[in-house]
Amino acid sequence: MMASLPRRIIKETQRLTHEPVPGISAIPDEQNARYFHVDVMGPSESPFEGGTFKLELFLPEDYPMAPPKVRFMTKIYHPNIDKLGRICLDILKDKWSPALQIRTVLLSIQALLSAPNPDDPLANDVAEQWKVNESHAIETAKAWTRLYAMKS
Amino acid sequence: MSEADADMASQGSDPDDEGLSDSSYQDYSDEDINDYYNYGPDDMEQDDRGQIFDPEAFEYFLFNKEEACQFLDERVAELTQTIQFSPQVSHTIGKVLLQAHQWVLTEVMERFREDSVQLMVDCRILPPPSRAKQVEPPPKQCPVCLQAQEEKDLLSLACNHKFCTDCWQRYFQVQVEDGVATGVECMWSDCRLITTEDFALSILKNSPVTLRRYQQFAFNDYIKGHYQLRWCPGPDCDVIYMAPQPLGRKVQCKKCKTCCCFRCLKDYHVPADCPTIESWLRKCADDSETANYISAHTKDCPKCNICIEKNGGCNHMQCFQCRYDFCWMCLGDWKTHGSEYYECSRYKENPNIANESAQAQAREALKKYLFYFERWENHQKSLKLEEQTFQRIQHRIKEKVMNNMGTWIDWQYLLDAANLLHKCRYTLEYTYPYAYYQEGGPRKKLFEYQQAQLEAEIENLSWKIERAEQTDRGDLENQMDITEKRRLTLLRDFSES
Repeated sequence: MMASLPRRIIKETQRLTHEPVPGISAIPDEQNARYFHVDVMGPSESPFEGGTFKLELFLPEDYPMAPPKVRFMTKIYHPNIDKLGRICLDILKDKWSPALQIRTVLLSIQALLSAPNPDDPLANDVAEQWKVNESHAIETAKAWTRLYAMKS
Repeated sequence: MSEADADMASQGSDPDDEGLSDSSYQDYSDEDINDYYNYGPDDMEQDDRGQIFDPEAFEYFLFNKEEACQFLDERVAELTQTIQFSPQVSHTIGKVLLQAHQWVLTEVMERFREDSVQLMVDCRILPPPSRAKQVEPPPKQCPVCLQAQEEKDLLSLACNHKFCTDCWQRYFQVQVEDGVATGVECMWSDCRLITTEDFALSILKNSPVTLRRYQQFAFNDYIKGHYQLRWCPGPDCDVIYMAPQPLGRKVQCKKCKTCCCFRCLKDYHVPADCPTIESWLRKCADDSETANYISAHTKDCPKCNICIEKNGGCNHMQCFQCRYDFCWMCLGDWKTHGSEYYECSRYKENPNIANESAQAQAREALKKYLFYFERWENHQKSLKLEEQTFQRIQHRIKEKVMNNMGTWIDWQYLLDAANLLHKCRYTLEYTYPYAYYQEGGPRKKLFEYQQAQLEAEIENLSWKIERAEQTDRGDLENQMDITEKRRLTLLRDFSES
């Protein structure tokens, strides 16, 4: 059996349920309170607008001393997100601070969708496209959003 | 551990760092080789005090952990006594200031006199003034565990970001597990202030295991951060070198016998400097496939074409069948390798290369690299082969003494000669990477001339040592003296000052 859940995780979960962040929902798994099913709406005026992106978020044993593990489950055409859905975001790595929360992490991910950063790429081919022919890259991102993130 | 004085440091490579050990060698003390430096010929350059300038002299000390700790503490004390700290600044903050400046005391003092507040901000002890003004409402709970806490149980650095002791402790545990010690930052996002040793001690006072690891890592950070200190690179060796002047000179560990360059901790490499040897070794690693074909161990005699295996270090070869004397490197007649005219070590560049095709230039570049690589590698192999010569000499000396042909002391000169040969050839090996990167011009001509002279004398010495029983002792000792002088002349003119 799992050790009892730290108060911090309980409080964060409560707040996420009662005061959800606009455009983001995070629901704890029924079996495992450290695992969250996350939906992020594509920000308006971004190529991802209109899409709903599924992510998984896991709080490791050391959380909040260690960052949560977050991954996109929905395919997305973005220079900082690779084929496996891994995300290149500083606060998920060396810039993690125990004072950050699930809420702040998800907000940062939403912001990353609004402002792709091809100069610090994870998916090199996508980043290259983004730099060489931005309008074409944006069209591809929109097409992928329609294809994978807009299920009826 | 005792001091290693300048003379010790200036010695050539002792063959026992190559793994040679024999009871008779134990009798052979380091002092004997020092005598070379004491011969004091008149024509050598002398400094103001009338001492002979030794291009390899280097002052360094070997510390154990306690001595290094004491050395660091003394530096901190020196700093805190010299500059007038305001009351809240302590020994532990002195350490942070020094660590941020590679422990260059004068730099910290100077910056402190210029603007002590800015120094504290830059060293991440005080928050930037723009942030310090923000008044945080006193938190009723720890922002990490979200538990209600009383004000007195919340701890912060100068930035006033307060967290409870439990969270600080768990945070330190995770950081220390990752090997972070002196770099542990405030837990607040975007706050880059660093924790001091005293702060860590107060947090970890009830977790002795983590505290001990923290102290080990912090000590390691200080040694790595200090411009005068280096860990001995020997496997599992805990000796620390200290050099008042951190130069690219030779240091040797008395515990594990590792011998290396103080600055880059790679094998000692004069006359080449540290960046040169680094590019050279990287190049050799990259080009090893191309260079593989030259590692064949045999060549054919240029006269009678019989296959010859090189089984000694000397490059002056004599075909056992036709008695032809030739040079192993260039396969040319040894007669052209006299002391006045020794061309074998000099690479002759195609003068018209700039006008050739790109392919021809690439071929020329490879040819040039292989020229230097072959010579570099050949001397490396010769050093290995000469270790066997050294062992043979020891064996022969034993035999002779046991048969009442002289005493131990009578034969020591042969060991001296073998040691000197090792030292000279080692330097010669490293002249090739140096020459490869050296720009053309009169200085290169001079270098190549001296290199050729050294090469010629080393081969003479090697030849004579391999035939020691036929060689007159005086003749051999004369050859030793000449060879060592050639080596020192080259280093004096071309190693970094």
